[in-house]
Amino acid sequence: MAYYILKRLLAIIPTLLGVAVLIFLLLRVVPGDVVEARYMGEGGQFQSQDLMQIERKKLGLDQPLWKQFTTWMWGLAHLDFGLSMWTGAPITEEIQLRFALSLQLAVMASTVAVLLAIPLGVLAALKQDTWVDYAVRVFSIAGLAMPSFWLGILMILSMLIFFKWLPPMVFTPLWVNPWENLAQLIWPALAVGYRYSAVGTRMMRSTMLEVLREDYIRTARAKGLWLKLILTRHALRNAILPVLTIMSLEFAFLLGGLVVTEQVFNLNGLGMLFVEGIARRDYTLTQALVMLVATFFLVVNFVVDIAYAWLDPRIRYR
Amino acid sequence: MAVTPHTVDELTRAAEPRSGWTAAVAKFARERPLGAIGGAIILVMVVMAATAGFLAPYDPLATDYGAMLTAPGPGHWLGTDAFGRDVLSRMIYGSRTALMVGLGASLIGATFGGVIGVASAYFGGRVDLTVQRVMDVFFAFPVIILALAVVSILGTGVGNVILAIAVPMVPRCARVVRASALSVREMPYVDAARAAGYGHRRIILRHMLPNVMAPLLIMATAFLGEAILLEASLSFLGLGVTEPTAAWGLMLRGAAVEFAESAPWMAVFPGLAISLAVFGFNLLGDSLRDALDPRLRTQ
Repeated sequence: MAYYILKRLLAIIPTLLGVAVLIFLLLRVVPGDVVEARYMGEGGQFQSQDLMQIERKKLGLDQPLWKQFTTWMWGLAHLDFGLSMWTGAPITEEIQLRFALSLQLAVMASTVAVLLAIPLGVLAALKQDTWVDYAVRVFSIAGLAMPSFWLGILMILSMLIFFKWLPPMVFTPLWVNPWENLAQLIWPALAVGYRYSAVGTRMMRSTMLEVLREDYIRTARAKGLWLKLILTRHALRNAILPVLTIMSLEFAFLLGGLVVTEQVFNLNGLGMLFVEGIARRDYTLTQALVMLVATFFLVVNFVVDIAYAWLDPRIRYR
Repeated sequence: MAVTPHTVDELTRAAEPRSGWTAAVAKFARERPLGAIGGAIILVMVVMAATAGFLAPYDPLATDYGAMLTAPGPGHWLGTDAFGRDVLSRMIYGSRTALMVGLGASLIGATFGGVIGVASAYFGGRVDLTVQRVMDVFFAFPVIILALAVVSILGTGVGNVILAIAVPMVPRCARVVRASALSVREMPYVDAARAAGYGHRRIILRHMLPNVMAPLLIMATAFLGEAILLEASLSFLGLGVTEPTAAWGLMLRGAAVEFAESAPWMAVFPGLAISLAVFGFNLLGDSLRDALDPRLRTQ
């Protein structure tokens, strides 16, 4: 087991290196650079080429690509993300608050998703092929079909029309004013959580159906156990594992993948920062963001795998 | 599964002799009502896209500043937008954009993903390992981030959006196809082809690829819905299809949100169109998977 953990942990490094190379090259292929983006923005006029060259030199953009890459890698190895090319501020500072926002939203949305998926999935499995089952399935497929940003627009719209109230539009950290914070974030969490519950609901339904046909469930029934007890003690415990796996992987993607929802709810999360970063050709910031999101994803993946092996004694890894 | 006819209508239909295709479609509709509903939604969408010029009451691009933000009524069934353009007409034309992007992206994604997946399984060993590691790298990116990066490189517009959406789909397709291709590789006919001295390319394209078509087709259908959603998201961000093209995501952008309180029809209807289209493709994809590939059946 220890060997397996170590092997999986080490496998993360080459993948991350691949991510680094890919995003580094992708950004260099995007036409223009940060200096152009800045001076083009001011009245659409070009500054003199000399001045732009000086700016580039200051940012290290005049150096050959391999050198830029090794400098960046060297910094990463020391956990130094460097400075944003656009604002000149340290990247850790730029990302900090937005990371807190995105993480909190991801956690809240996943909570909503789990709270919806598990009871609905179990219900659909118990009432298989009845109208309840069909209703749950339509509800979950509809969740997959509705863009969460549209759901967000509808939510804001109905709050405005029916309650003459709008959720706060400026982010307050949880530790400053929890009430204000939740009043803002609960809506995007609901919109996104509903969408992400769909996958879990369907998974829960099918694993539950499988487990309910197992011999030990029949045995439990035959000896006259309470249905409620059979469900919670015997069936759910065995059916829930794949559901939690798939939902944790979804959770990992929520961190950087909510670009459009953030836009609708006017949230300054990591997704919006990525859009800004790429529009400004802020190489260092965008690279750091992608590395952060990818690391998060790979680590969650790793933890899920290990937890799986630990929770389910039937699974043994070499 | 044996299904006994229930209604008079079904009885008469069951009695008629039918060609293979109609029989297959009828059987599918009877056994998988949800899938049939999905198919019907898609059919409506395809008809809408094909006859847009005939169906739409107005030119989707024609502005009428005298009729800005008109509420739904007899003149404009679904109202007008901030430029006085007819929402219904734009929605009908929007189905063209959605279908084009959806079909284009999943066709490209499935083709490249399919070939890469089969080749990876066929060659095995070091090639397979390398391809898998490269795919892992792509998997670590959220789909929308990858699409955004590609759009930034290529620029906006329908063609580029199709490519931007196809890129994140390639590794996902490749992974599924590779899994099926691994078992195909062990088939005697592949050995036979190799013994007959055929080249790698011929074995991959002519012998293996046709045999992994079922999972590939299922993936492609499932992707269609996702591609339409992704196009809407990109367009909504202003990084997808550009004005004045009629596209559902684009219709939800800007004025639709600004004037949402006074002109809610602008924000409601295009979103409804997106949801219905994706709903249709998801329903059909699910049922197709159950019908075509018993191994993937979710019960």
